[in-house]
Amino acid sequence: MKLKLNPIVKKDMQVAARSMRISWGLLAYEAVLALAFMLAILVIQEDVSYSSYRNIYNYLIYLFPVLAVTQVCIVALIVPIITASSISGEKERQTFDIMLTTCMSPFSIVLGKMVSAMIRILFFVAASMPVMALAFVVGGLSWSLLFYFLLTIVLLSIFSGSVGIFCSAFCKRSITAVILSFVIYFVIFALPFLPVLFAAILGWDSFGESLLFLLFDPVVFFEEFFMHIISETSILGGVSHAFTKDQVGFITYHLAQGKLWMFVSAACILLLSFGFMLLAAWKINPLHASSGRKRKTKGAE
Amino acid sequence: MLYIEDLTKNYGTFTAVNQLSLHIPEGDLFGFVGPNGAGKTTTIRIVCGLLRASAGKVRIGGMALEAGKRNRKRLIGYVPDFFGVYDNLKVREYMDFYGSMYGMGHRDIVKLTDDLLELVNLTDKKEFYVDTLSRGMKQRLCVARALLHNPKLLILDEPSSGLDPGARVEMKELLKNLHSMGKTIVISSHILSELSEMCSSIGIMNRGQLVAAGRMEDIMQMLAGGNRIHVCISSDMEPAVRFLKEQAGVMVDSVRENEVLISYDRGDEEICVLIGRMIQSGIVLTGFHREEGSLESLFMQLTGGGDR
Ligand SMILES: Nc1ncnc2c1ncn2[C@@H]1O[C@H](COP(=O)(O)OP(=O)(O)OP(=O)(O)O)[C@@H](O)[C@H]1O
Ligand SMILES: [Mg+2]
Repeated sequence: MKLKLNPIVKKDMQVAARSMRISWGLLAYEAVLALAFMLAILVIQEDVSYSSYRNIYNYLIYLFPVLAVTQVCIVALIVPIITASSISGEKERQTFDIMLTTCMSPFSIVLGKMVSAMIRILFFVAASMPVMALAFVVGGLSWSLLFYFLLTIVLLSIFSGSVGIFCSAFCKRSITAVILSFVIYFVIFALPFLPVLFAAILGWDSFGESLLFLLFDPVVFFEEFFMHIISETSILGGVSHAFTKDQVGFITYHLAQGKLWMFVSAACILLLSFGFMLLAAWKINPLHASSGRKRKTKGAE
Repeated sequence: MLYIEDLTKNYGTFTAVNQLSLHIPEGDLFGFVGPNGAGKTTTIRIVCGLLRASAGKVRIGGMALEAGKRNRKRLIGYVPDFFGVYDNLKVREYMDFYGSMYGMGHRDIVKLTDDLLELVNLTDKKEFYVDTLSRGMKQRLCVARALLHNPKLLILDEPSSGLDPGARVEMKELLKNLHSMGKTIVISSHILSELSEMCSSIGIMNRGQLVAAGRMEDIMQMLAGGNRIHVCISSDMEPAVRFLKEQAGVMVDSVRENEVLISYDRGDEEICVLIGRMIQSGIVLTGFHREEGSLESLFMQLTGGGDR
């Protein structure tokens, strides 16, 4: 069977390829990356020249986290902007009604918008590969890492894309959608820390399972990911070693061992994204949503 | 083809459509007329599944609105009153985009696109960007788009708004053409006379209610039964008006410079008698005729001429 490309993806690609925005975007993306690269090289060089017996090439390995974190930040900033203006942009352009009367289900509209945003961002990321590869070829990192890095970028773009889509479905104007999506973003980043903070402030003997909320936090996910790469340990792993079994809950203790946390966290983040997408699809379905002025914001778990 | 039963739509406490019932048989060209805010667009959007009705039923081709959503969507081609197009998309790609949204194969789309563009007279614009087309061309393109998946029911919301007279005629011809091809067409408009030339039946809507509906001939008959008479007088107006007012059954509606508009609800013989009496009493009559059955006056009568 021939796999059919979602028509929205195709159309968005056509439109995007012709607009200057994607070229400027690419330029800006590469420029920021180049800046990060230069700064990193500068710092590494300075470092090496202090102790002249050391080999600069070993240090180039640190290019990777610098470039990767830079990219993660850019992706996290750009994707919600693209998706937040996707559905509300169609509304502003008054093309959305026609789209809804076609055979596309609301969910496939949401999905199409997501995928087209992801392809656009992966296009940027792909363009950064040569620079990234420097850290691998010269720095001697394992290639599988590059693969994992790409996977995390995809995960991140799904997550931030779904937040953007969600806001886009609930707002009439693109600009409010963008603002709202950053608000939700930071709520999701910060909220999972609350239970831990509570436990710490109240001075409980045990954190219990309060750390589990951090599974939904992309910031923690990326922190774990990069900590594993750089130091083969992690903060949460450190927690589970530092605390005895009765200081954290049973599940937390076992999850925090090794890399398990990252995989579970990835699944949780995907689940959250899926929830956002479902809500967006529900909202844009005219036969479900009530008359239109109701605005719902779903907080983080 | 299209059954609407007791359709009601409330916006908060405001009732935009109030217990509207309507039946449009297959192959009809139905005109939907009403002043601004009558609820035409609301009704159409409900039928197209873009708005949820507060109450009532809509059945299209025997299918309820909720059931078999995908199949129902295939039955309808919708041209909204306001619509936009994408920048940076060519006419050909525009059609391709909507065709694939209906799950059509690429080859079918290409073939149909050619036919439809020819039908709406846009063949030479195939490689143009859609946002560079003129308003009328966009409108026709939108009609072509709505026909792409070969719907049985074509719904157009004010297709001639914003078009110049020439383009209006073209649009009208296009719709007549489609009608003769056997499509059921629903078209909304403010302007009755525009519809009267092409529609096979019309419904007049006001304040969310259908005030009159039926075949064009029946509506015309309603007009023919009008009892307004124009009396043109070249003698003094005052005694003439006084005289007319005194006559039994005569209602003087308005007095103009040398014309009196009266309502006289009697047969032809009695009208002759009235004319005779007027002449006898020394009124110089220069004209005496029944009002032309204008749709517009019926429209004003039925809708109270009111915006709300
Ligand atoms: N989203 C909405 N919220 C509240 N009221 C609405 C909404 N949409 C329409 N209305 C009201 O419903 C009524 C009917 O509107 P509708 O657009 O159906 O009229 P129409 O017959 O299409 O008018 P026009 O000829 O101007 O297009 C109007 O009084 C309008 O104010
Ligand atoms: Mg309208």
